[in-house]
Amino acid sequence: MSNLMRQAFADTMLEIGQKDDNLAVLIGDISHFILQPFAEKCPGRFYNIGICEQTIVNMAAGLSKVGFHPVVHTISPFIIERAFEQIKIDFGYQKLGVNLVTVGSAFDYGALGCTHHCYDDFALLKNIPGMEIIFPGSPIEFNLLFKQRYDNGLPTYFRLPAATHDVNLKKEQIIFGKGITIKTGGNLTIIAIGSQLKTAMLSIAPLNDISIDAEVIYLPTIQPLDRKLILRSLAKTKRCLVIEEHGKYGGVYDDILRLVADEPGMNIRYSSINIGDKFVHEYGSYEDHCDKLGFTPENIVKKVKSGL
Amino acid sequence: MNKNIRLAIAELIYNAGEGHIPSAYSIVEVLSVLYRKFLKFQSKKSDWPDRDYFILSKGHGCAALYVILEQYGFITKKDLEKKGQPGGILGGHPDASRVPGVEASTGSLGHGIVTAMGVALGLKIKKKKNKVVVLIGDGESNEGTVWETALVAANLKLGNFLVIVDENGSTARILPMPDMDKKWASFGWEVYNIDGHSETDIGKILSKLKFTFNGKPKVVIAHTTKGKGVSFIEGNSAWHSRVPKDEEMESIRKELL
Repeated sequence: MSNLMRQAFADTMLEIGQKDDNLAVLIGDISHFILQPFAEKCPGRFYNIGICEQTIVNMAAGLSKVGFHPVVHTISPFIIERAFEQIKIDFGYQKLGVNLVTVGSAFDYGALGCTHHCYDDFALLKNIPGMEIIFPGSPIEFNLLFKQRYDNGLPTYFRLPAATHDVNLKKEQIIFGKGITIKTGGNLTIIAIGSQLKTAMLSIAPLNDISIDAEVIYLPTIQPLDRKLILRSLAKTKRCLVIEEHGKYGGVYDDILRLVADEPGMNIRYSSINIGDKFVHEYGSYEDHCDKLGFTPENIVKKVKSGL
Repeated sequence: MNKNIRLAIAELIYNAGEGHIPSAYSIVEVLSVLYRKFLKFQSKKSDWPDRDYFILSKGHGCAALYVILEQYGFITKKDLEKKGQPGGILGGHPDASRVPGVEASTGSLGHGIVTAMGVALGLKIKKKKNKVVVLIGDGESNEGTVWETALVAANLKLGNFLVIVDENGSTARILPMPDMDKKWASFGWEVYNIDGHSETDIGKILSKLKFTFNGKPKVVIAHTTKGKGVSFIEGNSAWHSRVPKDEEMESIRKELL
């Protein structure tokens, strides 16, 4: 697993922790060593609580009540799925702020099996009113988006991917709630999230070969959705392909279907590439899973040829 | 025996048509002493930063808390009258976002105690001397997060944290948990057993506790009786969430007036 995003997390904690005494970090026994600079520079504000995720998440609500901007960090399924009721009640219902920063979403822990996978995080969290969902696909995005949102008194989820998308973004483009048009196009909109932006970019040339001029929209913020940007692009291209490392239900694709359904007069053809309605029982690297599940430029071309 | 508080609880639940009388009656004396002698608060400024934090983790006992909060002026008689009604702020479980003096929205068991531990940790980091008290049920103690808290709070040396267990016999008929005191002691807590209906005992123990930033967390096992104070409700599990009928309410009034 790439360490770039984890390093960005650790560096950002150190950077902000030295300026803001109210930043406190609770972990569930991962990233312990990489966070030591934060622990040393910000004494008394770093806790490796133990293997008890419901308690770690719930404790953060207590910290929030007395003025902290808590950060809870461990593996996605153990926070989002295991401690879902804690997120719902202790932060959503009680209107308290927290920053949930995870690694190991989707199939990032490709060799560890389904206990360590998490494909339903967006679907679950979108059901909590007030929740913010951020999926930074590069270190600079995490750094900037965390700074923009960590102290706003709302529950915010940062899903750190194993792989980065390797597309250079300008700092001024990285704004919470805003999507980014990576490439303008004419007759197809590809909406990419996380590291799948890389796959989308690799599909541009083969799509050109079949006379498709793809517009690529990248969404570092999942909730709230940049409705304007998406609608403007779809009104132009009339064709939409969403590529996302999420299960079939409740991801960005569902949001876009709902968004367009609510807009009068839009006639759009859609398709999507996602994990589907299944457990990923196979083992392998992140790239192995991408190949097997169809997160490839070839599959984008195939989808466009067959469904769009 | 706090007859007035118990009568007010019964009237509240009778009027609202919903509530848990026995679970509220078992904590009346503990709440009464906490608010009269122990907790620092400003009822007209419930978010006063120097207040002590009290969380009722067994949220279904909230009728007792509501009556006490009204007594001290956090909420009004009108709030009590509108319990469970549209436009009212009081429900069958307390909502911290709506009720002054309620620190945590409890109801799902095993949450309030963990929130309280987080408050205690936060105050310890900030070196603030506010006390943190949480009241849990013995049935609630079936929840794993209670014992995660027992483990974590002791490890963090949260000497500013007090848990009171309302040992009212709820769990004995479901999932017996004998030797509650020994269980907490084995996690490294300072443990006390008291008669949870004796205001003298409660007051004595509370005055003895020393709150520190680096010591053992404390637990008081308050041995109580569900439904204490009304003969036909005491220890009668049929009354767990029963609302008195008109003639039953009359009988309650006769016993408590």
